[in-house]
Amino acid sequence: MVRSPNDYRTDVWVDWCPGCGNYGILAALYKAFAELQLDPTNTVIVSGIGCSGKTPHFVKVNGIHTLHGRAIAFASGIKLANPNLTVMVHGGDGDLMGIGLGHFIALGRKNLDIKVMLHDNRVYGLTKGQASPTLSKGLRTKSLAQPNILNSLNPVALALVSGYTFVARGYSMLSEHLKNLIIAAIKHKGSAFIDILQPCVTYNDIHTPEYYRKKVYFLEEDGWNPMVREGEESDKLLNAIKRSFEEERIPIGIFYQNNFKQTLEESYSQRISSYFKTIPPWQKISKDDGSPIFDEILFEKMFEEYIVRVERSQ
Amino acid sequence: MYNNILILLGGPQGSGLESSAQILSKTFARLGYGLFADREYFSNIKGRHSYIHMRISSKGLPVSLSYPVQILCAMDAETFFTHFQDVEEKGVIVYDVSTLSTKYSAIPSIEPGLRERLRVSFSEFGLDGSISSLIRYLKAVKKTRFIGLDYQKILSELSQKFTLSPAHASRYLSSIIVGAIVGLTGLKLDAVAYALASRFAGRPQLIEHNMFIIESVSKTVMKEFGTLCELEPSANSLEKMLVSSGNDVIAMAKIVGGLRFQSYYPITPAADESFTLETFERLEVDGESLGSLIVIQTEDEIAAICSAIGASLSGVRSSTSTSGPGFSLMVEALGYAGQIESPVVITYYQRGAPSTGQPTRGGQSDLLFTLYASHGEFPRIVLSSGDHLEAFYDTILALNLSERYNVPVIHLLDKFLANSIVTTPLPEISKVKIDRGKTVFEKPDFKRFDLSRPISLRTFLGSNIIQWAAGDEHDEYGHIDEDPLNRRKMYEKRMKKLEIIDSEVPVEERAIFYGQDDARLVMIGWGSVKGVALDAVKEMELSGIKCGYLHLKMFSPFPSEYVKSILSKFKPENLVAVEHNYLAQASQLVRQQTGILIGNSIVKYTGRPIYLSELVNALNRILNGERRVVLEYGA
Repeated sequence: MVRSPNDYRTDVWVDWCPGCGNYGILAALYKAFAELQLDPTNTVIVSGIGCSGKTPHFVKVNGIHTLHGRAIAFASGIKLANPNLTVMVHGGDGDLMGIGLGHFIALGRKNLDIKVMLHDNRVYGLTKGQASPTLSKGLRTKSLAQPNILNSLNPVALALVSGYTFVARGYSMLSEHLKNLIIAAIKHKGSAFIDILQPCVTYNDIHTPEYYRKKVYFLEEDGWNPMVREGEESDKLLNAIKRSFEEERIPIGIFYQNNFKQTLEESYSQRISSYFKTIPPWQKISKDDGSPIFDEILFEKMFEEYIVRVERSQ
Repeated sequence: MYNNILILLGGPQGSGLESSAQILSKTFARLGYGLFADREYFSNIKGRHSYIHMRISSKGLPVSLSYPVQILCAMDAETFFTHFQDVEEKGVIVYDVSTLSTKYSAIPSIEPGLRERLRVSFSEFGLDGSISSLIRYLKAVKKTRFIGLDYQKILSELSQKFTLSPAHASRYLSSIIVGAIVGLTGLKLDAVAYALASRFAGRPQLIEHNMFIIESVSKTVMKEFGTLCELEPSANSLEKMLVSSGNDVIAMAKIVGGLRFQSYYPITPAADESFTLETFERLEVDGESLGSLIVIQTEDEIAAICSAIGASLSGVRSSTSTSGPGFSLMVEALGYAGQIESPVVITYYQRGAPSTGQPTRGGQSDLLFTLYASHGEFPRIVLSSGDHLEAFYDTILALNLSERYNVPVIHLLDKFLANSIVTTPLPEISKVKIDRGKTVFEKPDFKRFDLSRPISLRTFLGSNIIQWAAGDEHDEYGHIDEDPLNRRKMYEKRMKKLEIIDSEVPVEERAIFYGQDDARLVMIGWGSVKGVALDAVKEMELSGIKCGYLHLKMFSPFPSEYVKSILSKFKPENLVAVEHNYLAQASQLVRQQTGILIGNSIVKYTGRPIYLSELVNALNRILNGERRVVLEYGA
């Protein structure tokens, strides 16, 4: 059966604001999944809290809507327990860059094969427009009482220094381009990150579609090649970081892709040979009668170092 | 000849005391003796005073500790000063003759409180504060017998014999203590060799060097002082014994129970369990792999529990191990697991609290916290264990109940159990069953939160089913739903699981009464109070006072009917809560759940175990009319 983008839609009513950037992300997602013909039962979307957190309910693949900031942590357990799954995280800028920042960095260190989609609209939408970690200092979006007093952080640069092996930036209104980024991220083996710029029509009156239309340009326009060649990892990384700080015009596309780093799953399988052979959920832990596979004999062999055989004095 | 002996060995943290305890415990076990050893240490890597307090028995397996001890082995002067009052009259103290002129006031690691107590004692005794003055005093007043050894000389013999540098030789300091104990109790060197071979398998030099010291010291001790504390041959009938810490026995149980994922963030006293699990990650026996166990050290405890829940959604048995500060961070995700009806097991080793508290000391002050942690109402199981074997079976029970009822299970333990090395019979694996609850892997239009059955079917991510889950209130599919009537149905379905668990889990897994209806006093306790309480029952019986002990194991859902049926036979003044916390938390819960007032309490919150001697004394004080006794013995 060939799946069309529509086959990935659920019948849950999408309750984002009309004109929300999330619609572009969702459309790109359906198209990417269809193009890759992803098996919905083998695909999992894990989300945090906020407008982006609702994404899994709108997609007909497994969907785990978790806690604020913790989607990556849940996803890590899901993926490690079943390394055959395609696991994708959707989170907002407050979710991934604020409350859940520690997990975001940790995932880069792990290079576990999880795709992280950052819905980056620079405000906390669902709680009525507070400044998020990606809003620049001094800016005052619609519902702020005062201009933002904190400096912003750069998600692309952060992903690069954290160790993500695929780092890209997309724009929600350029859905076809975003779809291609998502496909590339899914095909990549390792931790992948896409910073998806998106307008918040209700609370962000600065970063509007008009704003982005003037600023956004494609990295490949000036011949940027994100692929790391063997031995050139740090040069590519430094240049990618540099490009991620361009502000006058905002580059989108793939900043960095490194296919030479071992994933966490691969590291485990190197240590534990049976890990990939029979993935953990399908490993037998009990016999047909319900008794554990570790019977008395296996127990004694396995834990020999804790067992003392008594030699009674005569 | 002794059939039961208490020994205390102490020295600076990081000087090999722990491996001495392992060698000794295996040596005793090899000869059929039962052993119970508590390890007391500071939150410190090197230098602060640590000690091991052990009971060895030739009749049965000991389950508690007591004071005074028969033997004190001091690796350094601080140990001597800290523990000389713990030694019985005519007891034996092993010490280093080079410390004779050392005064307590010159030891910087002695804390101000003890320093002051020593100052008071020494001025009372009219001593100058040195070890030699103390020896004179103890010889005269307590008839203490002393075994003075020249530790440095023993080490230089080692260094000469094997051409080791003095620094290298000094690493064997703790073996001097082992040798002294072997000599004093008359243990066979064959058994020591067995223990060394087991502890240092594949490292023949370590075995040789340790054996050299142990043999020469034990011979010296026997020759010059005699086998002062000779042990009767063991009358225990076990052919094999498990010698393990609580952390290790739980790790073994998790492996037998089919665990496939363990996440943790380093914390005392829980991390050793994860470390042990990781050493067995290949689940290999005779070169054949029986599966794979992923053990991951996460960035924090929040990630630890979230990833464990994630792994559970993927269909593996998963758990995380922690202590109080870590559990505090896990609380939000605990509620999430309750809300999305996900199995997960949290192995919770309590330590001295609140806040950082006493990271390496014991306590039982988190019971009420585990019962109420996280916002909102959701079903959870809180299960506690009283000793190593109970903990073994309960670990598997926790995994089973969690999957059978799709609820988070908190397995509540404490530092006393985590770090004590105990001999037990091997667990009876044939008694163990794996129950994964009802699962389904193929079903069109699957409803993860199906309201038509009390416990919804569980599936695995990656089976032939699509599932959704949300911490939001949800419909049967797992999609957000705020409809008030749906809310009521979902809420009730979740909460009713408590009634189902209450009706289905056998009461013997949840509370055990040791005693009879005519007991003068019934103790009510939980966790590692069990061993000492049972020993106190026997001890009181010797002086003609019948006591009983009600051992509480499951706190949620609480076995109210059973507990009520036992306790209602007694008057409040005949009931005594025995707990390691200030409020006697379990007794408050008993009151709340059964209406029964427990009229007395014996509590201890110094971070040290409850000792048999002080518990018996406290029970007698309760009999004499005191309502609350606070215990504080132990360094």
